[in-house]
Amino acid sequence: MSKGEILAGFLAPHPPHLVYGENPPQNEPRSEGGWEPLRWAYERARKSLEELKPDVLLVHSPHWITQVGHHFLGVRHLAGKSVDPIFPNLFRYTFELEVDVDLAEACCERAAQRGLTAKMMRNPKFRVDYGTITTLHMIRPQWDIPIVGLSANNSPYYLTTEEGLDEMDTLGKATREAIEKTGRRAVLLASNTLCHWHFQEEPTVPEDMSQEHPQSYDGYKWDMRIIELLRQGKTSEVFRLLPQFIDEAFAEVKSGAFTWMFAAMGYPELPGELHGYGTVIGTGNAVMEWNLVKAGLAASASGPAANGRESALYGST
Amino acid sequence: MTIVSAFLVTGSPLHFLRPDNPPWKTVIDGFDRASRALAMSRPDALLIYSTQWMAVLDALWQTRARVSGVHVDENWHEFGELPFDMTVDTALANACVQATKAAGITAKGVDYDQFPIDSGTIVATRLLDPEGRIPLVMAANNLYHNTATTERIGALAAAAARSQNKKVAVIGVGGLSGTVFREQIDIQQDRIADQNDDRWNREILRLMEKGDFPQLDAKGLIYAQEARVDMGFKHYSWIKGAIGRRFFGARVHGYGPAYGAGAAVVEFRL
Repeated sequence: MSKGEILAGFLAPHPPHLVYGENPPQNEPRSEGGWEPLRWAYERARKSLEELKPDVLLVHSPHWITQVGHHFLGVRHLAGKSVDPIFPNLFRYTFELEVDVDLAEACCERAAQRGLTAKMMRNPKFRVDYGTITTLHMIRPQWDIPIVGLSANNSPYYLTTEEGLDEMDTLGKATREAIEKTGRRAVLLASNTLCHWHFQEEPTVPEDMSQEHPQSYDGYKWDMRIIELLRQGKTSEVFRLLPQFIDEAFAEVKSGAFTWMFAAMGYPELPGELHGYGTVIGTGNAVMEWNLVKAGLAASASGPAANGRESALYGST
Repeated sequence: MTIVSAFLVTGSPLHFLRPDNPPWKTVIDGFDRASRALAMSRPDALLIYSTQWMAVLDALWQTRARVSGVHVDENWHEFGELPFDMTVDTALANACVQATKAAGITAKGVDYDQFPIDSGTIVATRLLDPEGRIPLVMAANNLYHNTATTERIGALAAAAARSQNKKVAVIGVGGLSGTVFREQIDIQQDRIADQNDDRWNREILRLMEKGDFPQLDAKGLIYAQEARVDMGFKHYSWIKGAIGRRFFGARVHGYGPAYGAGAAVVEFRL
């Protein structure tokens, strides 16, 4: 078996409004559209994903919250209807997905070897959370690529932010080892919003975009600062600022997906491609891509990685 | 009398799913006694608030006439499923929506097929009313509501029941102290994870037994902070609001651990 690798990572937020705005057949409620710039951002991300031809998508979702350990979906086929408990008027989605259980088990095993509490979710009646489903639908609506779903252990909230994100860093490194060991060509999805200050009331017509704008100007400025640094590839500076960003912008990246993804990729000082930014009920959402194939840090479907560039681009691993 | 009984109970699925586990037996036995007390109070409906039904935008009330299905807990999936079949007192639930709105708190009814019912609501209703005979009014825990707002919503629910001449039982579902074991343990060795938490839990339960309302009010906030109490002890605020800030004592039917956290079954004397 050849050594597996991570092809790309995407910041892929999960507001159910985006699915609602798109009106896919799986979702019951109908809309007149809305949040187009973010949905178009996902269209660009979809094209890029198509070119990468990954074996598997791994998604870390803040809406599968676990207290004891980091959990991994461990049932090959999961299906059901996901109703968003916060926005049931917008998201009632019939899903069906295939899990790469072998990779999930490898991730779980590696996480345990690195000292984390880790657990497989084997109950076939388990209902997959709407964050996982929204991110997966928005990035790959065909649902034809197996997935690995990771829970968000509540350590950044239960412990200090720094202690919790240290766990996510370890989880990311374990994830990379598992991908390499199992020979998978993988894409990582960090299902996180940036600034998470939001309005307390929904407009009468949820997709009325005349009502949509950042809830907080300070939060918006934080988002732009972080995105600009990410666009410049200043990854270490972003992670230096991350606790302050989380604190001042109530950023959802606190839940760990963003750190998990960057740790798995080795914190590359690589300019991220911004596919688009927009607000959803006032929160800041960016769809961004770090394409390790284009950067020569991973092999494309038809060629090897430009290994010589690796040491120049990678930060601490 | 509108409020015929009131209970504060744990919403952890562990006791329901593994009732024979020795450390969890006291809480299960407590639920048995509370269940009998609830039946004897002969309510027309249960007003139930669970910390595990989390809302963000509004005060949510379940308004679907019947909700049924199988829930698998996000944390404790390895222990099995939580089947449920619940009847909702829709007239009272809709009145609660209207009353909440009229009080200036944004509110909505929730009436959707397969809306996710939380573990706490399922566990409490399955253990307190195993036959599912009593219709429910279910209220969500809006994460942005503080204890005062939650107390106010509890009072509004009781007033709505009064206006419909209904006798109701009030149930606040949530945990006590919140320190948990973060690693796998042998569940037969479960205990309250932190001694200070245990002291705090026992002190609060003792004040409830004495009916020492002023001391409970004085210490509630410190308790919530120092013992990491589930959702700031808002489930107690719900009960307090619904019963009009007045009870004469309480009977602690059971107290024990839930993977290190504190769990209890308490019946208030009204």
